[in-house]
Amino acid sequence: MAYPLVESPPQLRRTRNGLRRRTTRSRTTHPLAFLLPAFIILGVFFFLPTVFNFIYAFTNWSSFKDDIQFVGAKNFVSLLSDGSLVAAIRTTLIYAALVGIMQNLFGLGLATLLEADTRVNRFARVIFFIPVLMSALAVGYIFQALLKPTGAVNQILGLFAGHAVTIPWLGSTTWTLVVVAFVNSWKWAGLAMIIYLAGLKTIPEDVLEAARMDGAGPWKTFFRVKFPLLAPAVTFNFATALLGSLNGFDTVQATTAGGPAQTTEVLNIYIFQIFGYGLYAQATTMSLVLFLMVLILAFPIVGYLRKREHVL
Amino acid sequence: MKFTKTATAVAVLAASAIALSGCSAANPNGGSDSSSVTWNQPTANLKGVTLTYWTATQTATMAKPVIAAFEKSTGAKIDTVVIPDVYETNAPTKLASGAKPDLATWQPTASELALLKPKTGLQNLDSAPWLSKLTPAVQKLGTVDGIHYAAFVNAPSTIGVFYNKAVFKAAGITGIPKGYDELIADAKKIKATGIAPFFGAAGDSWPTQWWPQVLLAEKAKSGLWNRVNANKESFSGSDIQGAINEYKSMLDQGLFNSDNGTSTYNESGPALLKGSAAMVLQITSFTSLLLSTADKKTIDDSIGWFPISQSGNIGTVVPGGDNALVAFKTGDAAKEAAARQFLRFWMTTDYASYIKGAGQVSIEPRIPTPSTVPTVATTATAALADSVGSMQQSAVVNPDFYVYLADMTHGTKSPEEVGKLTQAQFTQLAQALGVSGF
Repeated sequence: MAYPLVESPPQLRRTRNGLRRRTTRSRTTHPLAFLLPAFIILGVFFFLPTVFNFIYAFTNWSSFKDDIQFVGAKNFVSLLSDGSLVAAIRTTLIYAALVGIMQNLFGLGLATLLEADTRVNRFARVIFFIPVLMSALAVGYIFQALLKPTGAVNQILGLFAGHAVTIPWLGSTTWTLVVVAFVNSWKWAGLAMIIYLAGLKTIPEDVLEAARMDGAGPWKTFFRVKFPLLAPAVTFNFATALLGSLNGFDTVQATTAGGPAQTTEVLNIYIFQIFGYGLYAQATTMSLVLFLMVLILAFPIVGYLRKREHVL
Repeated sequence: MKFTKTATAVAVLAASAIALSGCSAANPNGGSDSSSVTWNQPTANLKGVTLTYWTATQTATMAKPVIAAFEKSTGAKIDTVVIPDVYETNAPTKLASGAKPDLATWQPTASELALLKPKTGLQNLDSAPWLSKLTPAVQKLGTVDGIHYAAFVNAPSTIGVFYNKAVFKAAGITGIPKGYDELIADAKKIKATGIAPFFGAAGDSWPTQWWPQVLLAEKAKSGLWNRVNANKESFSGSDIQGAINEYKSMLDQGLFNSDNGTSTYNESGPALLKGSAAMVLQITSFTSLLLSTADKKTIDDSIGWFPISQSGNIGTVVPGGDNALVAFKTGDAAKEAAARQFLRFWMTTDYASYIKGAGQVSIEPRIPTPSTVPTVATTATAALADSVGSMQQSAVVNPDFYVYLADMTHGTKSPEEVGKLTQAQFTQLAQALGVSGF
């Protein structure tokens, strides 16, 4: 019996390599002009301010003067000679590293714990996701109240300890940065959990079954099988946590406002203060420094994490 | 494809060109000078006129009774806009983006007024009809380069020592200490009785700045801040650094409350009233804190006040954010006149009922202070007569002196670092302001 020969449509035809050939998009159904409104909004509210960031950093814009004049690299020179910028950068990097680690640990822990689709787990996932939806400032203010020397946390600890506990959670010049990073991680751990859950769900069942048959226990299964296969989720979560918290502001501002003694003064808070003095050009210059810092860090970090995915 | 790419590029370039051509902070208005300023009668009809009044959260209700009375007698309408904290940051930001009120509460020191660009942005109030009716000490304040831009409505604060009379008596102190050395000697006597001589409230940071400032009163009288403003004297110089070091030695000698580092301003009032601390160095508005937990009679009986300086009792003036209003140059002559009329109404027609309702000390000698005001407030205000300007009042810009002093109190910065960092910030701000010499 002869089978009818049907030509596959041009869009689905494959080349010799088995890959689909790029076909020209029909101009009548998908004109590029459809993208114009979105590009205009993106341009005006995102690209234009970024361009202006570069421009204003070379001026003497302040609230003390009516006119704006170019002053060349004066802002950068004075910034480099000022030690407080370096201190703020160091604090920001430590804060970002802490958030990156803690947020992912919490997210991964929660995801592994709540992996099975039971009623309790589904309910718990919702509960742990709620902080993500809360306003960062609200979270900051709540924790500031909880962590006061006479706040709820110390009172609960006092109940267990049997005597009054007055640990200054937000008053230590060494450890408050860790506490603030913890608060931020607590807020965003739900998001990391969701991504890790998705990652865990994409691990093929037969791989896990093979591991089980080979006699791997739960820990070995996790570290040797699950975690390497989670590489794409780790890339996303670690990159967003680290690079996102480099831009951190709301939670830190609400809990400590940069204190005590500027030990939690992340770069955005420092910029906010300089802006508050009316020194708009200097603040813009520092924003530029932050922008460059994120850019410089992003490429090697994301590059390394993506490389991890290639072994799959 | 090529066409739309070019089109998008052109669109972006055109937009940037348009935006860049408008690249100025604000449009400076050519305003009227002092000679052509007219002053309406305080109760003249202003039907149909709406004025905008900006104020901070801390001063949100300050003008309410006056506004109500003004609206009733003139038919004008005043919209109060409460700018969220930090007022001194958010208000200039709004101005930079083009918004402009007719009136605003503002700290009437030259350094803070500079943020409002007084020469082009604020109305010249030199010809205010009530100016000559103010106490002479207040008449001198609220100026930038010799021109009045701020209209005082409340008495500026004087920094002084509020002390607990009973604790002083128990320690055997009979007279007011004259100068730093006698003050420390008395403090040691009080410490010997087991009471903390001073309550520092360093947990809130800002109370720390009063100590070095009062110890500089004599130097300020001889022109210290003029020298600092001309870059001929610095915060690391012997005068200011000396005052910082003296404050540090007071901390090291244990003359403050044991929980100084975490104690707050709100705790200082009850602590002084209770007698757990003997003295609190604060500005006059500390009286309101005392009034929140005690009545006038208790305060009059138990709390006294005296100014202190390096070698005597010279007070130091700190005009505060709730002391004065400014009127903006908006370009609308009728509204500018209405704004001036409101200020005139406040300080002439409505002044007596205002200070009665607000419980404030009078700054017009012909109108007596209400009897509900505690004696300490009237004493502090009377000390304005021979007091000297603080850093806030006399320095051309306002560095965060208190932040570094608070760090020093917490032990994270040395006295020398405080001087150095404050000077660096001072220089940076002065350069931005365009002060000659920096």
